[in-house]
This record gives sequence, C-alpha cells and structure tokens, in this order.
Amino acid sequence: MECPVQSRENAELLLAYCARRLDPETSAVLERHMESCAACRAFGQAQQSVWSALDAWEAVPVSRDFDQRLYARIGQEEHGSFWNRVVRPWLPLNLRPALSLALASAVVVVAFLVQAPTSLELSKQAQVETVDAEQVEKALDDLDMLRQLNLVPRTEVGASQSM
Amino acid sequence: MGERVNHTMVAAAALEPDAELMLRVKEGDAASFALLLEKHRAPVIHFVYRMVLNQAIAEELAQEVFLRVYRARSSYEPTAKFTTWLFRIAMHLALNCLRDGRSERCQESLDQDNPEALGRQVADRRPTVEQDLVYGVKLAEVRHAIQGLPEKQRAAVLMHKYEEMEYSQIARVLSCSESAVKSLLFRAYETLRGRLAHLA
Repeated sequence: MECPVQSRENAELLLAYCARRLDPETSAVLERHMESCAACRAFGQAQQSVWSALDAWEAVPVSRDFDQRLYARIGQEEHGSFWNRVVRPWLPLNLRPALSLALASAVVVVAFLVQAPTSLELSKQAQVETVDAEQVEKALDDLDMLRQLNLVPRTEVGASQSM
Repeated sequence: MGERVNHTMVAAAALEPDAELMLRVKEGDAASFALLLEKHRAPVIHFVYRMVLNQAIAEELAQEVFLRVYRARSSYEPTAKFTTWLFRIAMHLALNCLRDGRSERCQESLDQDNPEALGRQVADRRPTVEQDLVYGVKLAEVRHAIQGLPEKQRAAVLMHKYEEMEYSQIARVLSCSESAVKSLLFRAYETLRGRLAHLA
C-alpha cells in the first residue's frame, strides 16, 4: 500500500483507523504497513493520543427543567400574540431592538403629519379663494348683461342720462 | 393532501425513524415531538456547549433549536436526515452566538465549579484530589485547544469525534463538499496533535 503519510488522501485512512471507523480488512493492511513504517507509526500514535485526550471532555449533565422550560416557551408561542407568532420569528435577533425604535419613530412622524396643516390643504384654500373672486366677477358681468337687455329698473337709467 | 402526506410518510419510514416521527409531529402528534426531544436533547446540548463553552447559553440555544423544529413542523419534508437538519440549526445558532461575542462575555472559567467537575464528584469512581487536579488540567488544555480552532474546523471535529457523524453528513451540516470536510478535519487534527502532544 502507498504510505498514508506520503499522500493526503491516504492520511484519512489513519484518521479513520484511530477513530476505529475502518473496516477490519483495511485495518489489517494498515497495521501491517505501520509495522514497517516509522512515519505512519508516529502519526498513528500522535493521533491516538489526541483521540484519548478528547475523550477526557465528558458531556455535561442537562438541567432537569430543560423540557419544562421548552414546553413553556412552546405554549407561550402558541397562545402568544400575533406579533410573536407571525412577525417575530422572521426577524433576525440583532434587528429586533432597531425595528422597535423604527416603529416608534414612525408613529411620531405620522402623528406630526396628522396634526400639522399640509401644503396641500393650504393650496386648496387658495383655490377656494380664487373661485370666489371669479364668481363675483361673473355675477357683475351678468348684471351688466341684464342692464343691456333693459331688465334693470328704468329710473336708474333715466337718472344716469340726466346727469 | 392526506394521500400525499401518507406517501411522504412511507418514504420517510424507509429513510429513517426520526423523519417518520417528525412527520407525525407535522400531523399534530405531540408525543412524537417528546420522543424526538428525548432522543436528541443531550447530543444537541453537548454539541452547542462544546461550541460556546457556556452551559446556560448552550441550553438556551438548544431550546431555540427545538423551538425552531417545532415551528417548522407544518412545512417539514423529509428531504435530508433529521439529525442533519437539527445540527445545521444548532451549528447556525452556535456560530451566531460566537460571532455576537455573547459566549465570550460569560464563558465558564475552569477555576469555577463547572458541571463537568460536579459530574465527576457525583460519579462513584471517587477520584483522589490529585486525580481531580490532573483531570482539570487535562480538560482545560483540551478545551483551549479546541477553542483555538477556526469555527468550521471546531464544528467538524465536534461532529466527527463526539457525534460520530460520517463525512457526508458533516458536509451537509456545514454546507460544503465531503472533500472539504476531510480537509477541515485533517488540518484540525494536525493542529490538535501539535497542541496536545504533551498529554500523550
């Protein structure tokens, strides 16, 4: 066999051997090779010592109330608000405070816009004033026309002629 | 709709029992969720703990993992192995936590009475004070050596060594190729051999 230490691809055989995940046949071939190859033997021993050092890191005991806390959270979500159930899960954790601030700012801006008179309203008022002036002018024109048709009182005409 | 779910359930049952349980959770079976929790609670907590090195944060993140699984039940499809999906969520949350720096701020000191040391006190082996000290030093070295690895290498080693996952599964969790995983592991163990050689 090609020396595992010489080739990167074969080196994984040594890793698998130390992790005891190699099939018996390949293990036997590798062991025969290691008997005659000092480099592979050294590699194998070093990896074996890493493997047993890692074994020292035992698993931590899990809190007894882990499930209870989890089910409480599930219950809270299922009976929680629309915000918690639908919107909150989609928000990245780091955006949640920023979004609250943005919503608060938006409320203040909307309130300001509702309270303050807008330029649109001012222009509407100006338009109404313009319409009033036109109406007066039109009314005067109508009066002139009526005069020309002699529909206004004659006394006024006579008085104007004597003058 | 029901026929489709049944068809998926048959496929999942052929695939693996966890996927079958998850499909039952999808149907509203709370007992199946309890079974999945019972089976995977400890591995998920241990994996996250070894990533973030803080018991309280590890449990909080593990709760978030199972909460996300529960939330996603209605859209679950058994396209991959259940544990691949589970560990992908766990790794994503652990990496986010490490990047936030949350775990660094409250990492457990080995000088404190940590749960591992407590576990040894409770055990019936009755180690001597000297053995306890030796164990403590060894544990600290192992933890520091693993903590010193880049995030992806650390995750790969933890899944390979402690969860006994195959290269292909680690690759799916890390969203990379199998050869990339082999390369990650090779470099990680090379570093660990250098850092832990004196413990031999």
